[in-house]
Amino acid sequence: MARPVVKKKYTLGERIYLLEILKGMALTWKHFVFNVKASFRPGPHTVPTCWQYPEDRTREISPVYRGLHMLCLDEKGREKCIACGTCAKTCPAHCITVKKGKRKEGEEDKYAGKMYCASFDIDLLHCIFCGLCQEACPKEAIVLGREFELAQYTREECHLDKQKLLANYRKAKEEGKLRPPRKAVPVVPAPPKPEVKGASSKATEVKKGQVEVKKATKKAKNAEKAKSGD
Amino acid sequence: MEGWVIAIIKVVFIWVWVLLIATVMTWVERRGAAMMQDRLGPNRAGPFGLFQPLADGIKLFTKEEVLPKKAHKVLWNLGPLLFALPAFSAYAVVPFGDKIILGGKEIILQVSDVNIGFLYVLAIGSLAVYGIVLGGWGSNNKFSILGGLRSTAQLISYEVPLGLALLAVVFVYGSFSLRDIALAQQGTFLGFLPNWGVFKQPLGFILYMVAIYAEANRVPFDLPEAESEIVAGYHTEYGSMELGLYLFGEYVNLVTLSTLVVVLYFGAWHIPYIDISKFLGPVSWGIVSFLILYLKVAFFLWLFVWVRWTIPRFRYDQVMGLGWKALIPLALFNLFITALFIQLSA
Repeated sequence: MARPVVKKKYTLGERIYLLEILKGMALTWKHFVFNVKASFRPGPHTVPTCWQYPEDRTREISPVYRGLHMLCLDEKGREKCIACGTCAKTCPAHCITVKKGKRKEGEEDKYAGKMYCASFDIDLLHCIFCGLCQEACPKEAIVLGREFELAQYTREECHLDKQKLLANYRKAKEEGKLRPPRKAVPVVPAPPKPEVKGASSKATEVKKGQVEVKKATKKAKNAEKAKSGD
Repeated sequence: MEGWVIAIIKVVFIWVWVLLIATVMTWVERRGAAMMQDRLGPNRAGPFGLFQPLADGIKLFTKEEVLPKKAHKVLWNLGPLLFALPAFSAYAVVPFGDKIILGGKEIILQVSDVNIGFLYVLAIGSLAVYGIVLGGWGSNNKFSILGGLRSTAQLISYEVPLGLALLAVVFVYGSFSLRDIALAQQGTFLGFLPNWGVFKQPLGFILYMVAIYAEANRVPFDLPEAESEIVAGYHTEYGSMELGLYLFGEYVNLVTLSTLVVVLYFGAWHIPYIDISKFLGPVSWGIVSFLILYLKVAFFLWLFVWVRWTIPRFRYDQVMGLGWKALIPLALFNLFITALFIQLSA
């Protein structure tokens, strides 16, 4: 329901307007003084809402931020990717291409699964950083990290191959910027379903009851009317 | 020195000085705005970003001049000139200090003390609207035309209360010369108040302040260039130094109007209760009076910035309503009261 418009009645002081302007100016003056004082503080991050970006990189990046991609290794240092190609299929921008390779004997310490990706290419110029590849990956192999400075001078530099993706992982691990492992989603037990037959019969009973009540109220009203008419 | 040499020196001096204030004002405006909005503002070019106006100027000068295909060439080029030139020439009769004695010669710190200085300022001030309208019309752009038309209506309706408020000042001081008015504001009035125009004309002062905000196209009356409604109004199509002339002219206008406020209502170079000119030599008094005047002007310039980031823009019918229904009757009332007082006290 739309809320009715209540027109406020202004007092004389408000209608003259000058006093209200002075109040507003007092507010802006407060902000001005606070920020001028703040801007003379030492250090790069002075005014609370402003980060002087290239010099001051202290601003926190949200844990759910989606930045540069990386291919993860497991605890034993093996590649997690099994080259299932789900990421490539999910990608709405069609920027991922994966080529399969079969694991040979003696390579168990290198690849986690029976299959591995022989090549893994991402075209960053097409990527929209939606993170669907990460959502789709069954092994949590491809992950979007927190690196956000992606500008390059050539098109070739915007093309990520497998080596670069692995290097991104190692760099993030060194800098401690790895995303914390996903929290397990708590499983809520489904509520027991009520019996179908009993439920339907109850509903009809309630309806009947309501109708009876309505009739009763009507009768009562009519009686009142008749009385008042007399 | 001959008279005309002194005159030329004064012209050049005040030209450079006003240009300098206008340049610094662009910086003050941007940093002040930033500080009021919890930002930092331009702080990269030079210490505290003080060279920012210089960088802006270089940018505007080196930019390509784009003429729209269907623009009227003559009017297009005339617009910025007609806007900026009156802004500068209005300063010819506005005093910028008391007087200075150099080499035994008394020099008035004012380009020319015309006895109709008042009318000159009003007339030249109204000329600026031609720059806006012609620029808007010559651009052949609907937003520009709308901006130009708005400014015409607005300036015409606010010129009336402005003129009436000033007329009351003329009643009080009995002179059209700005220097005479400034000199008359020395000493005290009623025994304890400084003899300033603002105490003799409180209502006139408020009316004048409101009217100059409309006259200078500043928020809350910046309808000719209302960014959120008509892009940039009359200078939508302009770029390069033609746009620069419009922006510069606006700031020069601010300086002129603020100086007028100080000269008419805030005692020009006088300080309340103390007559400093007695303690200082003729040369140093000239310099000090100049500094006092511009200290006061600086406050009113800052007020323009301060108000701009406090109040939202008026709706168009509200602007017209305020002008015709509130300011003009009040100005007439003020005039009537002033005349009555003068008649009774004479």
